[in-house]
Amino acid sequence: MPQEAGKQYKQMLENYLHSKGEEDLYLGQQFSRSFIEKNIAPEDVISIHKNSIEELIEDLPADVGVSFDFLIEMMIHYGLALKEHQSLIRKQESIQMEMDIAVRVQNTLLQTTTPEVIGLDVGWISKPAKQMNGDYVYFLNETSNEVCLAVADIIGKGMSAAMHMSMVKFGMDSLRYEQRSPSEVLSFINNMIEKSISDSMFISMFYGKYDTDTSTFRYASAGHEPALLYRAAEKKFLLLESKGLLLGVQEGAKYEERIVRLEEGDFIAVMTDGVTETRTEKGFIELDILEKLLHDVKCEKAQTMVDFIFNQLSKMQDYVLHDDFTLVILKKVN
Amino acid sequence: MNLQVEQIDKDLVHNFKIIGEIDIYTAPKLKEHLASLEQAEGMEVELDLSEVNYMDSTGLGVFVGFYKEVTANNGSLVIKGLNQRLYRLFEITGLNEIMQIEQAEGGEDDASV
Amino acid sequence: MEHRSSIDINTEWDIVAARQLGRNEAKSTGFGTVDQARITTAISELARTIYLYAGKGRIEIQSITVGQRVGLVIIASDEGPGIADLQKVMTDGYTTSGGLGAGMPGVKRLMDDFRIETEVGVGTTITATKWLH
Repeated sequence: MPQEAGKQYKQMLENYLHSKGEEDLYLGQQFSRSFIEKNIAPEDVISIHKNSIEELIEDLPADVGVSFDFLIEMMIHYGLALKEHQSLIRKQESIQMEMDIAVRVQNTLLQTTTPEVIGLDVGWISKPAKQMNGDYVYFLNETSNEVCLAVADIIGKGMSAAMHMSMVKFGMDSLRYEQRSPSEVLSFINNMIEKSISDSMFISMFYGKYDTDTSTFRYASAGHEPALLYRAAEKKFLLLESKGLLLGVQEGAKYEERIVRLEEGDFIAVMTDGVTETRTEKGFIELDILEKLLHDVKCEKAQTMVDFIFNQLSKMQDYVLHDDFTLVILKKVN
Repeated sequence: MNLQVEQIDKDLVHNFKIIGEIDIYTAPKLKEHLASLEQAEGMEVELDLSEVNYMDSTGLGVFVGFYKEVTANNGSLVIKGLNQRLYRLFEITGLNEIMQIEQAEGGEDDASV
Repeated sequence: MEHRSSIDINTEWDIVAARQLGRNEAKSTGFGTVDQARITTAISELARTIYLYAGKGRIEIQSITVGQRVGLVIIASDEGPGIADLQKVMTDGYTTSGGLGAGMPGVKRLMDDFRIETEVGVGTTITATKWLH
């Protein structure tokens, strides 16, 4: 098998034994590449060396030769580890390819357009912790006086998350021309996905509908992180909580619906747990830190606000996101 | 990250104590432990989470899956010893409405409801 | 000519005996030093797996001739718990916890042919062959 390489190796070793020069070492180093290319295992390399040295030095002490047998035995595991490493790299490459496809599916199929309606400033950010995002933001606005917003967090990552997101998206799309309330939308999607989701899967989702004519925001939550409402007049934050079970857990689940009216300068922040569960060295950030940051930039454009919050919170965790991060701000302007 | 699951059976109730953090890395181990329990009609299971200080949605998924399995066999599941943060997680997700959830002793005082 | 010998695996020391037997057989079959070491390592891994997971079992070593080809067969058998998820066991990085070589994929790499028969609760038989090139 490695006979040709063996011959060449012996020649190079002989040259080096005579010269002891750097040039021969360099040639040897270059030659080692051919071992890798020809898939010659480490234990074979030692065997080649053993044979070469035994041929080159006639009176080589027997124990020296035997010591190479010992080394061969040792190197077999190294050889296996190397092969395993190569195989794991190939596997990783194929997973990466699959992942790239999933990311592309997610980016094209699940894209959304920031709505532009009079009287409402909308800003949002959704950043995956890894390549695939388990968070999902979707805006629907069919009329100029209404904006629907969905923020969902899908447990699990990768391809399965993207597929479940598609279900949620198509569920919402199928209802877009019907005048359905947020709680009805959540009930519909829950019943739709409950049948096709595995037992330990679920989705949390916040769904809200803003009416620009009345400045009211109707919302319902399927086990999702409560949204924050900032009251400009009182300079206070309120939690927008609404009872409802996660999507995909139980058929026929009912969702409570609530309504708030926004005044100028008021804003609503809808987020996923990647925001509230920002983990720093000292533990989780408390909600009041988020509120303080939001308060600091309350006069900025909604998009500037979400970008600011993202930068601040990612700085707090040394720019390493532990979870997907999604924040949407709806702000009433005149 | 480490996760330990101890089974302490007494009478007919299967009693598990879970120690550690339940996240995307340790959740499969927990799932495996719970799956190894043979599902019997009317089985009662108690999970003690008093020594779990962190759990993410993957962990919640394991409990949801297990809950579905147990109730499908007309059994019951109690999750107890939850610290405030964990209890809040069950509350936000609405799971406290369908599952039997108990806070850790002494944890009731500062529970914000 | 067929020659067959075997070692019962009950203690860790039996692993060493199995290695010794395998090396001798490999040598007399005509394998070179490196292949002897490969065969021995494979036997070592198989015997160790029996010792760790089944408690006891047996390693058989047999030199065979098929037409022009000469080879050595290792048969590792036990009446242990069996393997529930073969695919997992044969996955790189599984038994070795990420990159220590060996494990069952390692044995497969060291040998030319590799076959597992297993049944949960009944036991496992692994047959691995190395051909003299």
